[in-house]
Amino acid sequence: MSSNGFTPGEPLPVLDVPIDRAFIVAGAIASQDFEDVHHDPDAAINRGTPDIFISINTTNGVVGRYVTDWAGPAARLRSVSLRLGMPLHPGDVLHLTGETVAADDAGTTVKVTGSHARGIHVTATVNLTRQEAAA
Amino acid sequence: MTTAQHVLSAEDLQRFAGTVAEPPRVARYGVSEAMIRNWAEALDDRNPVYVDEAAARETGRTGIIAPPAMVSTWVMSGYRRWRDVQRARAEGVVEATPYAELLSLLDQAGYTSVVATQMEQDYERELTMGTQVSCHITIDSIAGPKKTGLGEGFFLVLGKRYVDAEQNTIATEKFTLLRFRPKEDS
Repeated sequence: MSSNGFTPGEPLPVLDVPIDRAFIVAGAIASQDFEDVHHDPDAAINRGTPDIFISINTTNGVVGRYVTDWAGPAARLRSVSLRLGMPLHPGDVLHLTGETVAADDAGTTVKVTGSHARGIHVTATVNLTRQEAAA
Repeated sequence: MTTAQHVLSAEDLQRFAGTVAEPPRVARYGVSEAMIRNWAEALDDRNPVYVDEAAARETGRTGIIAPPAMVSTWVMSGYRRWRDVQRARAEGVVEATPYAELLSLLDQAGYTSVVATQMEQDYERELTMGTQVSCHITIDSIAGPKKTGLGEGFFLVLGKRYVDAEQNTIATEKFTLLRFRPKEDS
């Protein structure tokens, strides 16, 4: 175990998040994103996708949640880098896996993959540290 | 379909690269517990530091913090403004900002659809209640036209710097989006 409490190679517990319209719309509106592709199936189809799909900010929030669920409330996110692949539509189950790829005094780096039956939705690299007690 | 489908090259669009996209976006309200709680519930995020003052203090923080991924939420322009922008776009009215002009050129050439493809955010500090967030946005690069699974399109990279009322940096972001022309038969 490293001095900041994380171990390189340590896997994160798997998390499955079932995706439905309510989840997609709730995430979009909570982040004040009114783009029609995140709430209007007809508009989404007209724009070339089969249904509404989750917003990148919602995906970012889910990735952050996944990491802090594991790391605990003292974790402090320092950076996130995420790349989207296949869109996430109603009826998909987002299957999240992750592992720590580096951990030292400067911080911990976690790689996260979110996939569903059609392929990979997101790959992300998250850097975090432990919140220090108030000086 | 007015002048749609006229050919746009990356060169036509390069004059926008390196420009300030638009005036800074200014939050309509300070960072607030209510907005955070709505977000945490939507994402089913049970991290207590977003909703519980005492739990946040136990971790050494001064109080509740906002989820880092919410940083862009604070400077969203809101439902009324979104309606106005949609109406202006439908009427072909173009605001006099580089970003609006760029999107209008893409619209006219048929690249009307958008998906985000990549995002990098560096969080300089955590957001506490009442912080007034603004965002400075630059158009960093434009690449295309490229064939993608969704259709032909242009990749735009935006640089964003989120600051507080004293202009101290909260977070920086690199945001890549694809403006594409939907395939005829998808």
